[in-house]
Amino acid sequence: MTATSNFGGERRPVGFVPLAWRNLLANKPRLLRSSGGIGFAVLLMLMQLGFERAFFNASLEVIRLLDGDIFLQRASKYRFATKDPFPRRDLEAARTVPGVVNAWPLYADWHHVFWQNPTNDKNFLVRIFAFDPDQPVLPLPKLEGSPKDLSDLDTGVVDRRARRFLGMDPQPSAAELNGSKIKIIGSFALGPDFENDGTVVIGDRTFAKLLPNSRGGPPDIELGVVRLTPGSDPTTVQQAITAAVPSDIAVLTKAQLLELERKFQADVSSAGPIFVMGTLVGFIVGLLISYQIIYTDVAEQQPQYATMKAMGYRTRYLVQVVLEQAVLSALAGWVPASLVAILLFRIVGEVALLPLHMTLELALVSLLLTVGMCLISAMLAVRRVISTDPAEVF
Amino acid sequence: MSAPAIADSVSLDSLQPTLRVEALDHFYGEEDSRNQVLFDNRIEIGPGQLVVMTGPSGAGKTTLLTLVGALRSVQHGRIEVLGQSLSTLGQRELVRMRRNVGFIFQMHNLFDALSAYENVKMAMQLGDRPVAEMRERGTAILDRLGLGNRVDYKPRSLSGGQRQRVAIARALVNRPKLILADEPTAALDRESAHKVVDLLKETTIEQGSTVIMVTHDHRIIEKADRLVHMVDGRIASDVVLHDSMRICEFLKTVDAFQYLTPIELTHVAEKMTKRRFVKGDVVIRQGEAGEEFFLISDGTVEVMREGHDVAALGAGDFFGEGALITGEPRNATVVANDNLDTYVLGKADFGAAIEASRSFRDQLYRAYFLRH
Repeated sequence: MTATSNFGGERRPVGFVPLAWRNLLANKPRLLRSSGGIGFAVLLMLMQLGFERAFFNASLEVIRLLDGDIFLQRASKYRFATKDPFPRRDLEAARTVPGVVNAWPLYADWHHVFWQNPTNDKNFLVRIFAFDPDQPVLPLPKLEGSPKDLSDLDTGVVDRRARRFLGMDPQPSAAELNGSKIKIIGSFALGPDFENDGTVVIGDRTFAKLLPNSRGGPPDIELGVVRLTPGSDPTTVQQAITAAVPSDIAVLTKAQLLELERKFQADVSSAGPIFVMGTLVGFIVGLLISYQIIYTDVAEQQPQYATMKAMGYRTRYLVQVVLEQAVLSALAGWVPASLVAILLFRIVGEVALLPLHMTLELALVSLLLTVGMCLISAMLAVRRVISTDPAEVF
Repeated sequence: MSAPAIADSVSLDSLQPTLRVEALDHFYGEEDSRNQVLFDNRIEIGPGQLVVMTGPSGAGKTTLLTLVGALRSVQHGRIEVLGQSLSTLGQRELVRMRRNVGFIFQMHNLFDALSAYENVKMAMQLGDRPVAEMRERGTAILDRLGLGNRVDYKPRSLSGGQRQRVAIARALVNRPKLILADEPTAALDRESAHKVVDLLKETTIEQGSTVIMVTHDHRIIEKADRLVHMVDGRIASDVVLHDSMRICEFLKTVDAFQYLTPIELTHVAEKMTKRRFVKGDVVIRQGEAGEEFFLISDGTVEVMREGHDVAALGAGDFFGEGALITGEPRNATVVANDNLDTYVLGKADFGAAIEASRSFRDQLYRAYFLRH
């Protein structure tokens, strides 16, 4: 008997009835409801995942921009955007290490500098970066104006993409930082993140005047930016620098610096769990919706499935049809949801000044979640097909 | 005549009945709530029969059908379908077994998403027909059921009768040797029911398929070969209705046809005609050339040789085969004792039946020539 049948769940030769596909397309209003419901859940997940990535990317953006190979910061500094500077002489120790071309300081402050909106005289906390204008260790994106001019005291460049209420765009000619007048000589396009509304970049001399060292000397350094000679081995140099500087200074590659920040955001800050929770809620909503859709469909077709069993189809084949249909339903929900997400990311990204983008990674992750969600629902609903007794249809 | 030598030349498979049920009991429920629904059922059904099952609801008809169709596991007793015992089959083999059976349900249970043809194709996918030939075959059977212009219609745009006919096409498309049907015409109008029954009847004749049908539709009962009546889980009566079925039962006892397969026997039976004699008629006369073979349906005859009575024959007996086999003149005279009903088979058809197995014919010739 084995040789007489060419089918029954063992294999699916070409040219056989695509039952799952036909079932999906059979009822257009139902398909519309199904992709609407599943798509809504997908959109929920996509927004959460998109915001999560935007949040992470925004906080990592400045680190990515840094023009250096090895970075020095205080070992106790647990994240980038917190003030924990170290003395200038520790950076100088690094300069003498073989393989190091030079090492320049980046000054920064997140907590102490208020910017006065020149149009309405309101004060806002801003993020400050400062460096030697001759050694621009933080290249500014789409900079208009010459960074060299920052060597003049009380000058600064502002972020055109800062939040509107700061009044940095259109670029004002002058503004106040902590009450002292500065001349705005240019602007760049960086954008806010979830914690900082705007950024002002000034020269190291202006920084020293604005936030003097409590001991009166030059300000301490937030981050040492080290450039290596081409061809030198970063790991070797990193070890040599570590040996040359005091033990309370951490010597990190850019990847390590990024990882430190990412880990903080994901594990320590409340942001990571919030987005995970949000995605989970979307996933569960999707589970409920897709289960409802798939279960109803399976229940409606139960007599048909029972008849298939009576004809000699294996349960495995029928399970396969239900799972296949679930994957197709997942796709039918995911495709429109992704298109809507692309549009929403554009609009929300523009309004909220956040780097919201539909990336390949985001597309794949959301697709995987959607297919997984529908497959779980299908596996729950398919029990009904498995238990169907073909003798009952008689 | 040595039987084993002859048996070798005939396919053993085709000699087997389509269905054999022995000492079949069945229970529903477990332990205390166990309820027996079938009691010691026995029946044997050969190929080419249209069997109608009747009986009050709850008599066990459907249970018997589902057991025979491998939809339930046999608990007590034995069911053989196409020579295969169902009780020895595992779950996997039971599923395979179902592919040899055509099911027709009261509800059509077609997939709304599939066209009439695709619904039929779902059944063909379980058969051994190449994909390339499916369209032609599927269209042909739908056409045969009067749905030639509805092949690509979805069930929603078909009438109830048309849907049921699609379901019947689905059950018949793989030419199953056993077709089980539960009230297949209940939802059909007169014309559709006729088409369906005609097709089922035709399948029994042309393909030698056996149809077992639960129905209370008298239009079908009229066409049945056999009527099985069930009451309270038992087969209360089992009546062979059709002439050809009766003839088959008689023919089985004829030496000359002993090794014909049941299908071949049916073919022979279909070719026999009824002939009536009155008291004193000479049916055959000694010395004349043999042209026909006779089977007594009702009445008795006197066989005389050289003017002496040598035997008396009654219903179920037969005569006249010797001269047809040997080609010699009649060796006896047969006279009707009273009103006599016979079934008659012509020389050519008789010869053709014997020809069916060449080596069997040789054996037969030897046996008859040795005897005389």
